[in-house]
Amino acid sequence: MDIQLKRGLLDACVLAAIKNEDSYGYKIIKDLKPYVELSESTLYTILKKLEMSDMLTVKSVELNGRLRKYYHITQKGLSRIDEFREDFKEILSIYRYITREEGENE
Amino acid sequence: MNKETFLRTLRSKLSYLSRSEVDERLAFYEEMIDDRMEEGMTEEEAVEAVGSVDRIAEQIMTETPLTKLVAGRVKPERNLRAWEIVLLIVGAPLWIPLLIAFASVLFSLYITIWCILISVYAINIAFALGAVIAVPCSIYFMCTGNVMPGVFLLGGAFLLAGLTILMFYLNVLISKGIVWLSEKLVLWIKSLFVRKDKDRS
Repeated sequence: MDIQLKRGLLDACVLAAIKNEDSYGYKIIKDLKPYVELSESTLYTILKKLEMSDMLTVKSVELNGRLRKYYHITQKGLSRIDEFREDFKEILSIYRYITREEGENE
Repeated sequence: MNKETFLRTLRSKLSYLSRSEVDERLAFYEEMIDDRMEEGMTEEEAVEAVGSVDRIAEQIMTETPLTKLVAGRVKPERNLRAWEIVLLIVGAPLWIPLLIAFASVLFSLYITIWCILISVYAINIAFALGAVIAVPCSIYFMCTGNVMPGVFLLGGAFLLAGLTILMFYLNVLISKGIVWLSEKLVLWIKSLFVRKDKDRS
């Protein structure tokens, strides 16, 4: 997929990955793998950005003698997903326009 | 490469970031490696899966705004001594123009790159215009009895049209090259502000 187009979707993807249950970095990458190939540094930047804008909170959990960071979605993050749903309607109508057959006027 | 070396090398390449930021980033990569190892990968495999240090370092630098890089470079590690401040002020007539000159050179380099692009497109448009205009001219010549010059002009028109098409493809290649070049230039400018010394710790 076009990189520019993908970039805009990544925030929503990461939020969606932690929507149902708290998740951690490697699991997010694994969960998203069938849909988007996400590098560690890209994920870090997105998580940081989402944390700064209060869309998620971070919690360190000890396990097997080391720390793992879990990301928890906030109310604001959830409403961002809803917003994305609205955005998507717009994207869809643009998509229809781009792929319309000749002769159609819509 | 084992985890230890990976983290140490990455740290040395991120010395332009603040200590806490580097620690946070490294903790993130360490967690990624540990999680992979827990899943059954060997240490080497896990490090490899995370990616090469150089690529990661380059990506982080691309994402870091230039202002932050400059701030990290300029911020002194200790307070300035009185005589250093005096020297800075006294030296201002010297170093401020030098700094402006340096910035201007970089800026003009950037403009030059984009001028190349504009000029190749201008040449292309000139060819196209020439081809379009030569056709009615040749018809005019042929109608007024000057057949030979008319045929010559028509041939010229075809030649120009051919050149236009050929050059168009060439231009696309050149544009791609120039976009790539200007990205590299920005990266290079950023790297100027990154401390060359190894570990700051």
